[in-house]
Amino acid sequence: MDKVFLTGVLVIALTGVLLPVVNRIFRVSGIPGVAIASAGYLISAMFILSSEEGDILKNFFVSDGVSRFVGALILLSSWLTMLVIYAIKEKDRFVNELIAGLLLSTAGALLLISSNNFLSLVISMELMTMPTYLMVLFVMTKPSIEAGIKYFFSGAFAVGTLLFGVSLLYGISGSLDFSAVSTALNGDFLGIIALIFVLAGFGFKMTAFPFHFWGPDVYDGTCPGVASILTGILKSAVFIAFMRVVYEVFSKSFTKELTVLFAIISAITMTLGNLLALAQKRVSRILAYSSVAHAGYTLVAFSALSVPISTAGIVYHSIAYVFMKTSAFLAFAGLLYLWGVSTMDEYKGLGRKEPLLSALFLVFLFSLAGIPPLAGFMSKVFVFLSAVKAKLLWLALLGLLNSAFSVAYYIWIAKQMYLEDPVVEHTPKKGNRKLILLSLAVSAITLVVFGIWINPILEVSAEFVSSQLGR
Amino acid sequence: MIGITAFLALTVTLSSWNVERSGAYFFLVMLFLGPMVGVFSTLNLLWFFIFWEFTLIPMFFHIGIWGAENRIYAAMKFIIYTHLASVFLLLGIIILYLKTHTFDFVNLAGISLDPSVAKIVWILMFIGFAVKMPVVPFHTWLPDAHVQAPSPISVFLAGLLLKMGAYGLLRWEILLLPETTKQFAPLMAFIALLTIFYAGFRALAEDHIKRMVAYSSINHMGFVLLGLSALIPAGISSALYEMVGHALIISLLFMIAGYVHHKTHTWYISELGGIMKKIPGLMTMLVIGVLAAVGLPGTAGFVGELAVMISAFKYWGWIMIVIPLSSAISAGFFIWMLQRAVFGPLRESLSKITFSELPLIENIPLAMYIGAFIIIGVLPFLVFDVYNPTVNQLFESIMR
Repeated sequence: MDKVFLTGVLVIALTGVLLPVVNRIFRVSGIPGVAIASAGYLISAMFILSSEEGDILKNFFVSDGVSRFVGALILLSSWLTMLVIYAIKEKDRFVNELIAGLLLSTAGALLLISSNNFLSLVISMELMTMPTYLMVLFVMTKPSIEAGIKYFFSGAFAVGTLLFGVSLLYGISGSLDFSAVSTALNGDFLGIIALIFVLAGFGFKMTAFPFHFWGPDVYDGTCPGVASILTGILKSAVFIAFMRVVYEVFSKSFTKELTVLFAIISAITMTLGNLLALAQKRVSRILAYSSVAHAGYTLVAFSALSVPISTAGIVYHSIAYVFMKTSAFLAFAGLLYLWGVSTMDEYKGLGRKEPLLSALFLVFLFSLAGIPPLAGFMSKVFVFLSAVKAKLLWLALLGLLNSAFSVAYYIWIAKQMYLEDPVVEHTPKKGNRKLILLSLAVSAITLVVFGIWINPILEVSAEFVSSQLGR
Repeated sequence: MIGITAFLALTVTLSSWNVERSGAYFFLVMLFLGPMVGVFSTLNLLWFFIFWEFTLIPMFFHIGIWGAENRIYAAMKFIIYTHLASVFLLLGIIILYLKTHTFDFVNLAGISLDPSVAKIVWILMFIGFAVKMPVVPFHTWLPDAHVQAPSPISVFLAGLLLKMGAYGLLRWEILLLPETTKQFAPLMAFIALLTIFYAGFRALAEDHIKRMVAYSSINHMGFVLLGLSALIPAGISSALYEMVGHALIISLLFMIAGYVHHKTHTWYISELGGIMKKIPGLMTMLVIGVLAAVGLPGTAGFVGELAVMISAFKYWGWIMIVIPLSSAISAGFFIWMLQRAVFGPLRESLSKITFSELPLIENIPLAMYIGAFIIIGVLPFLVFDVYNPTVNQLFESIMR
């Protein structure tokens, strides 16, 4: 039993719990708060990276290459988010509570990507989601309350359907362990019903069609810092957990059905996301619909589940996605905070007024659009590579067309920022700009690094596949 | 090709001496040139694609920020068109990789593929390259991009970006899939002819100087494609020569057209007339450039077109008898333009403008172009000798 991984998770969760307490007692906020939370991240990352291979708590969780690697990157991305949230909400009374929510949610995400049992899966998913219910309500404006309620109900519904599917699986197999369930499944009708309910639960979480409608409303309604957590870290963790569920439980009995199902869902999701993104006026809604489209791209890799390379596509896309989407939202948050701009019209000429932040925003947009040499390009290559390999040429072609199509609205933002004359007259707020820039620059560098240095991701996904075959 | 890149980079830098927001401008120039060198030098298909895509972004900003009135439309059209083409290219690359499990040119060359797969790969990659070249069904982005781009950037567009397409076609299709290319050679030749004539006639009808030059540029790329479609070493060599010559000549024409617009504030040939009287020095250079583009013996234009025609005759036979006609068309539109715009009586509207010759620093690049294309026109072996051994060697190795 390896408890080092769990210690890492505990460290991050305890930091989250203690941060508001320390703040209330000693009146620390701002930079000391950043320092405390950063120390928590650092220690937790050290534990997670040094944890050994193997099962945790009688196969409740598993510590393998995927969970360590993705876990460390989720921590990094979460740390960057924290820096920006501190920079933006420095004056807010409850900023430490918000950060605490982020830390707890990150702990849940870390557990989720390593869970190996339906019970631990549901619990860690709840741990990940519960703090965000509060965080969505953080700004307490009218749209934010609407978003919070929508998010709460869709989240509750998702967990309900997921639990119903899990209970059916328990009825079939008498166990909640992934491998035990997998051996008990034999492709009968009850299994299909359970599969559909589990898929629906996950579909809600990853905003896949037809459960995508809540996503843009929530991401747009809440404050963008929180939206970056919802759409970045949470969704990436769900992708990885879903990969475990699909490959470890369902892929043996339902390969053919899943291929067709995922192919159809992914085709509709990405086309719908891109089409709707094109029609939006607010930058945050564009980013939200592009997040729906990206769920579609990831599902393209899922639909190629018959070939091993598809795991590389999923892992790669989750990693690239967590950085580029989180940071795109954070850059949007920074621009909103400093300049008060949120619509396409107000974005005109920002490149001249705010050169560095806009340039970084551009990097994330290009990565989302899939322009080399950024990670978003490489991840798409692997996604479509696996689709072609699984003989889904039409899906790969559709995905590539979608990807080319999506360039239109990303480049539209670039056009507004750089090619138009400035319309914003007022001077920017004096914020902690350096902290925002630092965080986003780290993220941009990470994207470039993973756009070129592909080996570690391929290694961990290959390790995941070989452990599957060894079962 | 790297030599050409460096040469054009130098001239563009000199001619952009007085650009506004120079910091960002030259930052983007460097950002453009880096991947450009990468495209022409890499032997790895994936890196080729990465460099290929990356050249789009600086070019987008160049057109979009420093362009003319309608620049945003042109920049958006440029990036969406070429990005869509890249998608086809990428899909071709992915399929090729899945069949061969390598991106390396040395390993890929001479690999035996299933003919039907090779056909799919060939078509997908051809679409990618054809848009960039551009050849006729896919050309509409180019006139817009050229018209709106600032003149030095037009030079990059015509001199380098278009060459990427032809280069990619040569290296990653003809040398990689020679058998499939042989099957598709008639298609290539047909598209090339279509390009040559369509662009020629469009240029004849065009009143806008830069659009006209842009169409003549497409016309020349048709010649390049024709040379490539003749699958003999002479054809490839002539196509490469035509690329070099065209880069020099078109660059000169774009620069001068840009300057004329700068002074007269009009792009339209019908509104110009008699400017020879005002700025004889510059207009002499324009005349030289036009004559070279038409194919005057002693310039690079002549050698390139002649070499392409000869190899086309050799490979395709008598059907290519129509090619010289196209030269007549291009002579037609260029000389007609000269007659209307440069010579003749001075227009009333222009007589009030005080013209001046270019400052010395912007004259240097123009003189460099003229000098270069006359030198390689009189002594063509200077160019041919650079790559002929390579072309012959590659051909021997793949035709075995």
